[in-house]
Amino acid sequence: MTAALPSRALAGPALIPVDIGHPVYAAVTDPDTAFWALVDKTRLAETVAGGPLLDAYREQAGAFGQELHALRFGLKPSGVYLNPTERCNLDCTYCYLPGKQRSGGQHMPAETLIASLGRLRDYFRSVMPEGRKPRAIFHGAEPLMNQAAVFAAINEFADDFAFGVQTNGTLLNDAAVDFLTSRNVSIGLSLDGPVAGITDATRRTWGGKSVHGKVLAAMDKLKGYGSWSVITTCTTENLPHLTSMVELFHAHEVPTCMLNTLRCTLPGARGVKPADGEMAKAFFAALDRSHALYRESGRKLVVANFANILIGILAPTARRLMCDISPCGGGRAFFALAADGSLYPCSEFIGLPRFNGGSLLSEGGVEAALASEAFKTVIGRDVDKFSPCGDCAIRHFCGSPCPAEAHEMNGGMEKIGAFCDFYKEQVNYALRLIADGKADDYLWDGWDEGTETLFDLSL
Amino acid sequence: MTRTVQTQTQTQAQANIQQPQAAAPTIAVRKSCNPDGIGLSHYVLMDKKAAK
Repeated sequence: MTAALPSRALAGPALIPVDIGHPVYAAVTDPDTAFWALVDKTRLAETVAGGPLLDAYREQAGAFGQELHALRFGLKPSGVYLNPTERCNLDCTYCYLPGKQRSGGQHMPAETLIASLGRLRDYFRSVMPEGRKPRAIFHGAEPLMNQAAVFAAINEFADDFAFGVQTNGTLLNDAAVDFLTSRNVSIGLSLDGPVAGITDATRRTWGGKSVHGKVLAAMDKLKGYGSWSVITTCTTENLPHLTSMVELFHAHEVPTCMLNTLRCTLPGARGVKPADGEMAKAFFAALDRSHALYRESGRKLVVANFANILIGILAPTARRLMCDISPCGGGRAFFALAADGSLYPCSEFIGLPRFNGGSLLSEGGVEAALASEAFKTVIGRDVDKFSPCGDCAIRHFCGSPCPAEAHEMNGGMEKIGAFCDFYKEQVNYALRLIADGKADDYLWDGWDEGTETLFDLSL
Repeated sequence: MTRTVQTQTQTQAQANIQQPQAAAPTIAVRKSCNPDGIGLSHYVLMDKKAAK
């Protein structure tokens, strides 16, 4: 009987070699636990065959597997993305929300927003530890199109939620900035180009007017504030200019940015989708420039989407973003409330009615949505269970985002996301930085405060 | 310039033959904490206290 068992089952977890393109190091991983090590390439065969690294890992493999399983399947929601309006004053090429909603949609009435937050507060109190605040992020369309309701809600629930707002920045006048910063609301802006001509290629008003200058003005107002960031959505239109974007952000003292691949959920985005290889080349050039600027000035511009890949490798549970894990955070770490009061796993799904999990204010509310087929379809997307991810050595550093674009662009939940090769390159780049002792340069200062070191091996 | 590089490479290769290099140290780190991430590609929450 024993002889019939696979050799791996007899020996315990094994390590898979990964060429990371480093002159000295190769990686080995156990994808089932998201364990990794960097080993001398000349010793790769003997390391994988056995020895002190494998012995030390096997002692911890069970605990690492449990930790990853808890992160992937054991979380309760602790955040909500609130869409207080369907409308937006911009018509961005790649938006994941339908144009009809953004141009002529409805605002959520202030009283409905207040009632919704009351219901959400009660839900989060029932699932979160006492003393920990849930996060509530006003999100787009453009939330400040319904500013009066948003600000009333922030005032009403200041003690109950940690608030954030993701805005295109065009409505952030002095009064709005004073209101938000005095309440320590985390603010995210969006800017796609270092100059107006580049930004205007994908982000304009419905009438075709530029908003580049308004966003720069908002960035100037936020200079010195501790809690803000700027997102650049990377497209074919701005890819050659990412290094200039990083220089602009650093010059404006932006503490954190994201250089995101666009989401290809709706067809409009796919027309400006960069190829993976070109995306990687431009992205790494921008990262290199951000590092050079840090070395020159002593001031970091953290590229959060890449920092999250690094953190996902070094400390899987310390991730800040929940896209790069499978199942993703949609419908389990957070969910979204649409302007019509419906619940969705993530804002990315708001334009897709089949993912509507029901009304927040109806009987059942959040619990019913979490248990709905609409949410289960997203929560059930597991990279262990479909090809090619199931055999991928880095699948739990990547998560194959995003389920919305996998479903809409590639034909189903059991399909890869839109940028598979780019994610592989990011993981390789991150592992090379770790090999070279540079990882901390790309992370927030104090990123690992509150973490415990479970494994630290130098052989 | 090219010749210098070649000479250095040859010298290094000879040294490698005479004296095998020590292996680079293995690197393996894993940290852990209570998970509380809720960010997504459209937003990252910055918890740092406001500076003004």
